[in-house]
Amino acid sequence: MQTNRGNSAATTLPRKKRKFISYEGKWGLLLVSPYLIQFIVFVIAPLIASLYFSFSQYDMLNAPQWIGLENYEKLFNEPLFYKSLWNTLYFAVLFVPAQAFLALLLAIALNQKIKALKLYRMAHFIPVISSWTVVMYVVDAIFNPRFGLANSFLIQLGLEPQKWLNDEQQVIPLLVLVAVWKGIGYIMIIYLSGLQNVPNELYEAAEMDGASSIRKFKSITLPLISPTTFLVIVLSTITTFQAFEQIYVMTGGAADISAAGGPNNASLVLMLYLYREGFSFLHMGYASAIAWILFIILFILTLLQLWGQKRWVHYH
Amino acid sequence: MKKKILTAFLSFVFITGLLLAGCSSNSTGENTTSNENDTENANEEQVTINLGYYSGGKSDEKMQELINRFMEQHPNIKVTTQSSPYGQFFQKLDTQIAADEAPDVWLSDGVLVMKYAERGAIKDLTEWINRDLNKEDYYGLESNQDTDGKYWGVPQGIQIGALYYNKDLFDKAGVEYPSEDWTWEDLKEAAAKLTIDASDKKPSEEGFNSENIKQFGLTFFSITEGWFSVLKSYGGGILDESLNNSIINSEENKQAFEWMVDGMSKGIITDPADLNSFQSPMAVFPSGSAAMRIGIYARVLAANEAGLNYDVTVLPKGPDGERFSPVITNSWVINESTSDKKAEAAWEWVKYWSTEDEVQKEWAELGEAVPVKKSVAQSDTFLNSTDKPENKQAFLESFDFAGGLDTNAVWSEWVAKFNEHARRAFLEEQPIEEALENADKDVQKILTDFYNE
Repeated sequence: MQTNRGNSAATTLPRKKRKFISYEGKWGLLLVSPYLIQFIVFVIAPLIASLYFSFSQYDMLNAPQWIGLENYEKLFNEPLFYKSLWNTLYFAVLFVPAQAFLALLLAIALNQKIKALKLYRMAHFIPVISSWTVVMYVVDAIFNPRFGLANSFLIQLGLEPQKWLNDEQQVIPLLVLVAVWKGIGYIMIIYLSGLQNVPNELYEAAEMDGASSIRKFKSITLPLISPTTFLVIVLSTITTFQAFEQIYVMTGGAADISAAGGPNNASLVLMLYLYREGFSFLHMGYASAIAWILFIILFILTLLQLWGQKRWVHYH
Repeated sequence: MKKKILTAFLSFVFITGLLLAGCSSNSTGENTTSNENDTENANEEQVTINLGYYSGGKSDEKMQELINRFMEQHPNIKVTTQSSPYGQFFQKLDTQIAADEAPDVWLSDGVLVMKYAERGAIKDLTEWINRDLNKEDYYGLESNQDTDGKYWGVPQGIQIGALYYNKDLFDKAGVEYPSEDWTWEDLKEAAAKLTIDASDKKPSEEGFNSENIKQFGLTFFSITEGWFSVLKSYGGGILDESLNNSIINSEENKQAFEWMVDGMSKGIITDPADLNSFQSPMAVFPSGSAAMRIGIYARVLAANEAGLNYDVTVLPKGPDGERFSPVITNSWVINESTSDKKAEAAWEWVKYWSTEDEVQKEWAELGEAVPVKKSVAQSDTFLNSTDKPENKQAFLESFDFAGGLDTNAVWSEWVAKFNEHARRAFLEEQPIEEALENADKDVQKILTDFYNE
C-alpha cells in the first residue's frame, strides 16, 4: 500500500494533492472488500468474542458473566486437560514424522518413469478426498474386534485377537496409522512437486563424479527438498493439533459424545475435549479458554519450527 | 479501463455472493420449509410461528401433514418449520438460543427439558396446563415438572423401558419366557442358559470362554437401557429428590453393581468393550446376538424391521420387590423470548397435538412412541395393532412404577462422568467401591459447580 501510494501520486495524479488513500488505493480496497468484510465478520470478530468468553462464564443460553481468570485456573487444575494435551502431543509425535517420511518414500517411488504412473498417483490420492465417515466403515471392516479382517487374520496365525480401538494402548497408534494412510496422498503431491524442482544437472554432475544413488539422495535430494519438508512438518503439526473429525467419528462420538475420546479417554485430544465441554456441556467460556491455550501452544510450536529451520533448511 | 474494473468487481461480488449463498444452504444440512397459507389476508390477527423438531424419514411426512391440518383449522396461524436429524438439531438449537433466533416452539428430547428450563430458555407452562389440559388424561406430564412443581413442557410422545426377549432364542434353549415375577437374579439365571460362546458352549459347561461370546443373555448399555433401572430397583440411584446432590456411594448401588459386574465378567451381559465390537450398541438385540435387552418403546422399530420373533414384559424386580422403569417424555416447549402473541399461537399448536385424539392416533401409527394421551394409548389403535410386540400392555403397566432419569440442568455432563467411572467397574479395571466413590465425588462436583453459584 505504501509504495502504491507513492507511485500513484507521482505518476497518474501529479497535480492533485496527496490524499490519504489514492484513487488506486480506493479501488484496491474496494476490490478486496468482499474478502476483507468476510475476514472481519467471520474471523476477527469471533476471535475477539472467544477471547472475551474465555474470561467469562458462558452457557450460550444466558449472557456471559465476567469471571476473570477462573476458566484458566480450572483448566490448569484439570487432569483431563493434561491428559488431552498429552494425547495430542503423542498423536503429533507419531504422526508428523511418520507421515512426512512415508510420503517422501512414496513420492520418490512415484517420481520414476514407470507405466500407469498417473493411476498410482491417483490411487494414493483417493483416501485424501474421502470423508471420514466413509473411512470409518473401511477401518471398521478391518479393525472391528468381532467381525474385522485383522482379528480373523491374527486368529488364523494362532495369535490372540486384539481389541484395537477399544484398547487404551492401541487406540492412538491405530488412529495415527489411519490418519497417515488418509493424509499421505496429499503430502506426497507436495513432495512430488518438490522433487520435480530439483535440477537434473546436479544429478548428472554427481553421476560424473561417480556418486552412488544413496549419496545422491543424501547430498542433493534431501537438502534441496528441505523447504518442502519444512512446509510439510509445519502443516501436519497444525493438522494434528486440530484433529477432531477423525477421532470424533472413529471413537464413537457420533453416537454418544461421552464415548468420544475412546476407552478411558485414551484418545481424548484437545479439540475433542473442547467440543465436548463447549457444545455438550455448555461450558462455552471454559471451551474458549481451551481454544486460546491451544492457539498459544501452536503459536509457540510454529515459532520454534521457524527458528529451527535455519539449521537445516536450504533455500537455493 | 474503469469499466472493465467495474465489471470485474461486480462479477466478483456476484460470484462471491453466489458461493456464500450456496454454502450456507448446503453446509448446514437443515431443511427449512415454509407453508404458504391461502387465507393470509382473511384475518388481521395473522400470526406466524416457527416450529422446530428433530426427525427423519417417515415421521417427517406425518408431522408436515399434521401441521397442514392444524393450519386449516387455525387460519390465523401460519406455521413455518425447521427440522434436522437429532444431533444436528440440538447442536444448532443451542446456538440459535444464544443468538435469540430459536424456534417459537420446539420438540425437546425429554432429558433436555430441564437443561433449557433451568437456564431460562423456555416458558413456564404451568398456568396454561392448569387452564387447558385435564392432567388425568396424560402420561408423562409430571416428568416435565421441576422440584417446585412448575411444568415446563407438554408431552409429545413417551418412551418407557421394558424387557424385550427373543422368543426363538428362548425356545431353542428350552428356557421359559420371562414372567412378570422375575427378579434380576432370575433374569441372570435364565440369561446364563441363553449365553453361548464361540465354540457353542454355555457358561455351565467346561471350557466356556467368557471372552469370546457369540450370543449374550442380556444386552445392556448406557443409562436408559442399562444401569439406571437396575440401580433404582435395588433401592439405589444417582441423585436425591432435590436433584442437587449425589447419592451414588450407597450400599444398594454397590449390590446392584455386583450383580452387573458379575454378569459381565461371566459373559452373560454385554460389557462396554463387547458393545464396541458391534456397529452400534442398539444393534445387538435386533441382530439376534442377545436373547434379552432392556429397551425403550422406540426399539420395537428396529426389532420389527429385523423381523424378530420377540415380545416384551415388565422389567424385573429388585431384591426387595421394588421395580423401576425409566421414562423419557419428549415434549413440546415454548421459547421464553418469543412474543406473547406468538406464544399463544404456539400453545394452540401444543393443545392441538395433545388434545385431539385423531392427531394422537395418527402419530401412534408410526410406532415411534407410546401416545401421551391415555385414552389413545389404551385404545385398540395402540394396544391391538398387528405389529409386534404382542404384549404392548406391558409398556402401559410399567407406568405404575415408572420414573424419570434424574434429569436436571447438567444431566448430559453428569451422565458422561458417571459412565466413565461405571465403565471402569464394568471392565474390572477398578473395584466397585472405588468406582462408586470416585463417581460420587465427580458427579457431586458437577452439581455443586452449577447449583451453588
